[in-house]
Amino acid sequence: MLRTSWKGLLGHKFRFVATALAVTLGVAFMAGTLVLTDTIRSTFDNLFADVYQGTDAVIRGKASFEGPPGAGVQRGRIDAAVVDTVRRVDGVAAAEGDVSGYARLVGKDGQALGNPATGAPTIGMSWTENRALNTFTLVSGTAPGRDDEVVIDRKSARDGDLEVGDTTTVVVGRPMRVRIAGIARFGKADSPGGATIVAFPRQAAQRLIGEPGKYDSVSVLAAGGVSETELVRRLSAVLPPGTEALTGAAITAETQSEMAKAFRFFNTFMLIFAVIALLVGGFMIFNTFSITVAQRTRENGLLRALGASRRQVLGSVLLEALAVGVLAALLGIAAGFAVALGLKGLLAGVGLDIPTGSVVFTSTTAIISFTVGVGITVLAALSPARKAAKVPPVAAMQEGATGSTGYGSRQRMVVGAAVLGLGLAALLIGLFRDVEQPVVIVGAGALLVFFGVSILGRTISLPLSRVLGAPLPRLRGVTGALARENAMRNPKRTAASASALMIGVGVVGLITIFVSSTKASMDAAVDRAFTGDIVVDSGGGMFGGVDPGLAARLRALPEVDTAAGLRQGVAQVAGSAVMVQATDPRAAVELMKVGPVAGSPADLGRDAIGLHEDVAARKGLRLGDPVPVAFKDSGTRSLRLALIYGENRQAGNYLLGTEAYEANFATRMDSKVLVKRAAGTSPEAALAAVKQVGQAYPGAKVLDRAQFKAEQTKPLNQLLALVYALLGLAILIALLGIANTLALSIVERTRELGLLRAVGMTRSQLRSTIRWESVVIAVQGTVLGLLIGLFFGWALVTALADEGITVFRVPYASLAVVVVLAALAGMVAAVPPSRRAAKLDVLRAVVTE
Amino acid sequence: MSTLTTEVSRRVGPAVAARTVEARKVYGKGAAEVRALDGVTVDFAAGHFTAIMGPSGSGKSTLLHCLAGLDSLTSGRAFIGDADLSTLNDHDLTILRRDRIGFVFQAYNLIPTLSAIENVTLPLRLAGRKGDDDWISSVVGTMGLSDRLQHRPAELSGGQQQRVAVARALATRPAIIFGDEPTGNLDSRAGTEVLTFMRRAVDEMGQTIVMVTHDPIAASYADRIVFLADGRVVDEMADPTADLVLERMKRFGE
Repeated sequence: MLRTSWKGLLGHKFRFVATALAVTLGVAFMAGTLVLTDTIRSTFDNLFADVYQGTDAVIRGKASFEGPPGAGVQRGRIDAAVVDTVRRVDGVAAAEGDVSGYARLVGKDGQALGNPATGAPTIGMSWTENRALNTFTLVSGTAPGRDDEVVIDRKSARDGDLEVGDTTTVVVGRPMRVRIAGIARFGKADSPGGATIVAFPRQAAQRLIGEPGKYDSVSVLAAGGVSETELVRRLSAVLPPGTEALTGAAITAETQSEMAKAFRFFNTFMLIFAVIALLVGGFMIFNTFSITVAQRTRENGLLRALGASRRQVLGSVLLEALAVGVLAALLGIAAGFAVALGLKGLLAGVGLDIPTGSVVFTSTTAIISFTVGVGITVLAALSPARKAAKVPPVAAMQEGATGSTGYGSRQRMVVGAAVLGLGLAALLIGLFRDVEQPVVIVGAGALLVFFGVSILGRTISLPLSRVLGAPLPRLRGVTGALARENAMRNPKRTAASASALMIGVGVVGLITIFVSSTKASMDAAVDRAFTGDIVVDSGGGMFGGVDPGLAARLRALPEVDTAAGLRQGVAQVAGSAVMVQATDPRAAVELMKVGPVAGSPADLGRDAIGLHEDVAARKGLRLGDPVPVAFKDSGTRSLRLALIYGENRQAGNYLLGTEAYEANFATRMDSKVLVKRAAGTSPEAALAAVKQVGQAYPGAKVLDRAQFKAEQTKPLNQLLALVYALLGLAILIALLGIANTLALSIVERTRELGLLRAVGMTRSQLRSTIRWESVVIAVQGTVLGLLIGLFFGWALVTALADEGITVFRVPYASLAVVVVLAALAGMVAAVPPSRRAAKLDVLRAVVTE
Repeated sequence: MSTLTTEVSRRVGPAVAARTVEARKVYGKGAAEVRALDGVTVDFAAGHFTAIMGPSGSGKSTLLHCLAGLDSLTSGRAFIGDADLSTLNDHDLTILRRDRIGFVFQAYNLIPTLSAIENVTLPLRLAGRKGDDDWISSVVGTMGLSDRLQHRPAELSGGQQQRVAVARALATRPAIIFGDEPTGNLDSRAGTEVLTFMRRAVDEMGQTIVMVTHDPIAASYADRIVFLADGRVVDEMADPTADLVLERMKRFGE
């Protein structure tokens, strides 16, 4: 039997390779993801081990609370006097206070470097004088001496075309001129994870970036003979409350694990696409083996007649699958390296720059990728193999026995409906109920929905092909009619080919609908909540901003009626870590239309807070109630609930007055400035005037309402592009599947095609027939996918209504484009099989042996 | 039995519907060389029903295929009417087959996804022509298919399927119809039925038919038989009967 399997494979090299390719792509994607994440992890592990090599202990504020996603653990600053206390401890050779915060470096061309809103952070910090403690190493120039001298990282120097001795601008809230004193690297890397670094002398850093008289942390060097643990023990004895000391080894491990955590999300994200690709590959394997088993019905009947047992027939098919799987998995693992590089490029394209290190290929990667690749192939071939084993010996004698072409038993429909129902239930429970692991439940639900629809596919395929193909006879005459009939003649096969495409398109549909709904919601939120004309976005992301002086200067313009800064910060409000917004109470009314449900924006004083009505309701808080709020800089305060307001995207869910903000946050930066033009000033004149002032703040963007809306949704467009690129792979595999199915169908229909040619069908008519059949299959998969995507999108948007996605918007035009693209892709997929069909030797096809 | 027109054309000396001149077809090279056709010159008269017979390997099928534009000659020429097939490319040959030639094969004559009437009109529709409704209905009437038009091939008996094939061959009013063992897969009753219809197509519609067969009874329906052996024309017989044909065929065995 082994020989039979092997001969079978060699006899159909094209099919073998095409089938293997489907799995290869999925495995390559998975291996690539694993290789890349291992590489990233190892690069960062080495990097941090390297830069903390000289640090024996670190002193910092104790954790106040864990911030919202992306903000990390929040710690208070420590008093500068701690450094003197530490220096007096026996066994301390050196100790230096460090400051770290937000700063934005401007390149030679006047453009701000980096984009902290979407990419790596832009960091302002203090330059550590002790070389052993400094995580940076100068590569040229000197340490900063004067307050207007800085050291920058080598990546920024390169990107901004800056050299030692150059003068440029740094925005630390307000723009200031600095001289580049030196350029440094971070360990072996040009910059820590692509971040932009500007290091000032210590006191300047405190004043410009941190808080005078305070440090974020203190690095300590031990004297000879004192171990890290011993050092930490001695330091802990003298440290004031609210601070902690940890060893160099501990800070290294902590930073490494934080980095790994940050990339875990990325890892999961990528693996989802690998799973989609493998799933699609699995469909293709199933389809190919189903067809070949059907085509070999006589051959298998003959084997059985000659004495092969069912097990042997089953084994021979599975063995073939195993060979395909092994080849595919090995090729996939090899291709994984290329994919890893491609993914890295893709990520760099959306602003996630990953440092280069040598590629890490672990045995775990090899084992996982190999097992999954081979496993999926064999699993997908299991059902066709069982069908092959069921072929009775008498089939050897039956002419033209090619297996069933029927479209689904009652039992099948029941199973399909049950799977679909289960999937829908899981999906809805995961989205709308408060459950553990909602992502897993939703994912499993989505998977079951796809399976359910593909099981039901055979039943729905026939009427669907009939409807979708209905215009063909009129459009394309007899070739169109034949194409439609061919798509309808084996609903099982059409359904399986279409299903593979359905998955990729379904996810495309979901993401497209989700993004368009989010955009529409954001636009609506801007319209609802913003009554001004112009927004100056600081471009500083979550933690950066511009100096409040900008808002003041704008207010002074004759073209401007009013301008108000909007600040943000991290706090823990009644137990939840959140982003709070802050603004001038008057501006809250004039520019942001914060509609009070209870209370008044005017009451947002030094000890007051405003909450979104849903938050207040969830926390059971009423107007006038005390609200415990923890700040990293000022500790825990009790604020009075002075305002409860309705939906307002600008104000967010937690709103402070400027006074309360300044009492609790050390930073004084506006993340945005909202501007309303003066009466009688044209929008253009107002915009020009604001731009004139805004120019002085590199990195800040002056936007009119329409631009502001577009700017808010920009990150979504990037996400969309990334997701489309990744899903493109799954769709490519599905198209390969359609091409393969058609090629196999053509083998099956040799005689028929020959007959058509004999009675006068031209080659181009024959190609056209196959092309249109392919279009019917492709459009069918696309329509099913879009219907599922539509449902998923609706469910997701509805579930996220609380997160501000209040509008469900179906982008009909985009979805129509998807259908048209699918039709075109179907035509392309049909090119190789239709060429083969057109080259068919008419005589061989029609003559009976 | 015969209509006036065919009777007249026979007397006057019929026009030639198809012919070959020194047709040669060689497969393989050197020692493996097989001469399927070895200089065949033969005419097929319009309005006649001709059968080609001969033992297996005599080249009868090859002759039919080369005449019908399904295969090409190694040397020599084949004509359908005035058209020299050797001068035509694939596209022109396809159009020629579609518009001027009808086919009836031994099996797999019909497209399974199309109904009987759709199969009958297939060549017309491939040509983008509407066809002559009266003619089509007279053809399907003659073939006794009027009540079977909406059936798919799988729902028809073997004899009915071959009759649909004959009707399709007639639908375009081709210059000539080629049959390649059209009754080979049928039982004798169904075979008789189909041959009777083919005979009627010649007698009543003035159709030209050339048929390859190895069955003396089938051949007895023809006006004339051309015998082939070893790729050459070795004999001819006019107004054959089954017994005479059987007698002649036996001599090939010797």
